[in-house]
Amino acid sequence: MNVTTYPSRNLFRRRGRTILTIIAVMLAVLIFCAIRTFIVAFNAQADDAAADRIATRHKVSITMQLPKHYIDDLREVPGVKAATWANWFAAKDPKERIPFFAGFAVDHNSWFDVEDDMQVSPEMLAAWKQTANGAILGDSLAKTFNLQVGSDVVITSDIYPGEWQFKVVGIYTPLRKTVDRNIFLFRWDFLNNDPRTVYSKEHIGWMVSRITDSIHSADISKRIDQKFDLQDDQTMTVSERAFALGFVGGLAAVLKALNVVSLVILLIVTLILANTVSMSVRERTHEYGVLRAIGFPPGQVRNFILGESLLIALAGGVAGVGLVELVINHALGPMMEANMSGVFQHFFTPRWVLAEALAAAAALGLVAGGLPARFASRLKITDALRRVD
Amino acid sequence: MSEPESIVTLSGINKTFFRGKEPIHVLENLALDVPGGSFEALMGPSGSGKSTLLNLIAGLDRPTSGSVRVAGADLTKLSDGQLAKWRSQTIGFVFQSFNLIPVLTAAQNVELPLLLTQLSGPERKKHVETALRIVGLEDRMDHYPRQLSGGQEQRVAIARAIVNDPKIIVADEPTGDLDRKSADDVLTLLDRLNKELHKTIFMVTHDPACAERASVRRRLDKGALQ
Repeated sequence: MNVTTYPSRNLFRRRGRTILTIIAVMLAVLIFCAIRTFIVAFNAQADDAAADRIATRHKVSITMQLPKHYIDDLREVPGVKAATWANWFAAKDPKERIPFFAGFAVDHNSWFDVEDDMQVSPEMLAAWKQTANGAILGDSLAKTFNLQVGSDVVITSDIYPGEWQFKVVGIYTPLRKTVDRNIFLFRWDFLNNDPRTVYSKEHIGWMVSRITDSIHSADISKRIDQKFDLQDDQTMTVSERAFALGFVGGLAAVLKALNVVSLVILLIVTLILANTVSMSVRERTHEYGVLRAIGFPPGQVRNFILGESLLIALAGGVAGVGLVELVINHALGPMMEANMSGVFQHFFTPRWVLAEALAAAAALGLVAGGLPARFASRLKITDALRRVD
Repeated sequence: MSEPESIVTLSGINKTFFRGKEPIHVLENLALDVPGGSFEALMGPSGSGKSTLLNLIAGLDRPTSGSVRVAGADLTKLSDGQLAKWRSQTIGFVFQSFNLIPVLTAAQNVELPLLLTQLSGPERKKHVETALRIVGLEDRMDHYPRQLSGGQEQRVAIARAIVNDPKIIVADEPTGDLDRKSADDVLTLLDRLNKELHKTIFMVTHDPACAERASVRRRLDKGALQ
């Protein structure tokens, strides 16, 4: 027996109440982690962006296009090592096997030099250069569409009319977890030469540059934008991180609100736990009087109650973390990555979020036990001994 | 033969409680000397101040005025923390309703006061076994209070009271919740602790038959010793 025996045995005195409270903490930890995971996953692409890559888009809006010859001008800017471009295709699967995936028309000669965290074999690249309607897909998308190299595939677009037929010439694999594995890449010249794109002929969506020195990223970006200052279409060049954040920037307020919600949930469960501990302390007031009478100092009685509260919170926390592993990391996460990889390339609760949840559980245990513990430790012994429950 | 030295000396004790703004004088200018090694019973009607006096001797409460010296310590000068430590070393408590912790076994209940000492686990175990052997319950060590009879529970409580070898045992109606046979067993045990282990016992009781077992009987009425 030691000083932890008493508080740990107390957990089982009102089994039903303890179990219900542990479940409440467990669910709060699950929701807390789910919200945090959502936020982390949303920002993952930005957080994991390459420091030596910058993106250039139309100064007014990403939806406005730039003249194609800008890429040649950009490549002349000192500090730019390599550059490529892409157009947004708003691709859709006519068979609706996947709700969303990104379709880009890209420069087949330079795309993989810049976006080198998408891995393809030299044979696939060679085949792409020889096939005008060749497409390279992410491995996850190829699996969803059940496509192999050599397969024919038809996709549609929200921008361009009709059906678009492609031949799969390659499948890329990601070298980083945050690389979208559901992108459909095809040749920009194929798009540009199609009569259906007459209004955007010789125009590109955005440019991506690999720079020589990431420390001078801001200077190089400035130089690029200065180059087009006097043109009809001015540009805005930002780091890849800022470019990625631009897509989720509109949701910043929602993400902040979610953060607040996760804290409110913790506050609610703190009150639930505080209620449980208060009821227990009230029922055992006489017992605490006995402990004080036989010589336990007020601080020790306080520690017994805090220990009990902490044990309940940690039991709920550990169960919650287990549930997070099971529900988010093994069920929901893979499902989100498969079906929504355009938004969530890597939907996974990181270890630090789990540690944060456990720390939050421990903290709420101590906070919830604080007031009842203070009450019990300050009780007059003779009053406590008179209390009969 | 010289008189035994007093282990409890109370002088000029006043204790006043307040019901709202109305003062209730429970003890008035009370003086008491309890010689070391005695077995004393304190009787009196309900509300006469018996338990209040017991609480003052045991260091559970403080007088409104007056001096309380017990086992060489002036209790009115000790802080709450010092008083808690003093109680754990000097006083053994026996309550009317046993007051065992239901989630702990008999042995663990007896061990509780020893958690406040520097004794190692094996040393504590030895003390617990000795205390339970003295009260005749060495074969009930792993039983929980609910698995014991009332008399056995009170004997476990007595083992808890003596396990840290206190100088004084205070007992508040120790037989109040027991049948006659169990009450006799408990009183015999207290008598043995007094005679064989020389513990000073100060017992509050309503029961004249119980008080008969003590060597000194006192009566408290309206806050004054008769």
